[in-house]
Amino acid sequence: MTMRVECHPVLGNLENQRRITIYYDDQAYQAYEGDTIASAMMAEGVKTLRYHEVSGKGRGVYCNIGHCFECRVCVNEEKIVRACLTPVSEGMRIHSLS
Amino acid sequence: MVVKSDDNKIICRCEEVSLGTIKDIVHHFHCSSREVKLRTRAGMGYCGGRICRTIIEKVVQDINNEKVSNESQLSYRPPIRPVTFGQLGGSENDDES
Repeated sequence: MTMRVECHPVLGNLENQRRITIYYDDQAYQAYEGDTIASAMMAEGVKTLRYHEVSGKGRGVYCNIGHCFECRVCVNEEKIVRACLTPVSEGMRIHSLS
Repeated sequence: MVVKSDDNKIICRCEEVSLGTIKDIVHHFHCSSREVKLRTRAGMGYCGGRICRTIIEKVVQDINNEKVSNESQLSYRPPIRPVTFGQLGGSENDDES
């Protein structure tokens, strides 16, 4: 059972979306073009995107509108972005912050 | 309005400050929301208080039974939006010492 909406009234059917591969903490995951990092990881069942600096507790998507910064991840070892706002691209290397 | 069992509920997610901590600080020091922020760091986290600012205000106002003011004491600190050094022109003039 996938978390994805197979045929969406507005976004259309999933089949004609291009599948791409992204890497999260050096593990490959499948995503579709047009996904955000947050939605792609959630569809793959990965809810923990970050670990709290002090308590080390897992953190993930909370507001999903770029407001709370809970989903901040490091992309391609150079930029820290909000996963819920950042579209995925082919071969994107994502690392969790801790 | 504030139920006893809620004490371990987290109010400020970024700094993991619980409702119990905030209530204790307010009861012990009889302080305003600003002082709660300074004492507990609630509202000083990475999100800049976006998530917990109003909740802290409400909790403190309830305990001190002050009248609700829409003017928040928990001020907004720059940068209120994330800004990278690249956006500030960092990458163009790298050679300037």
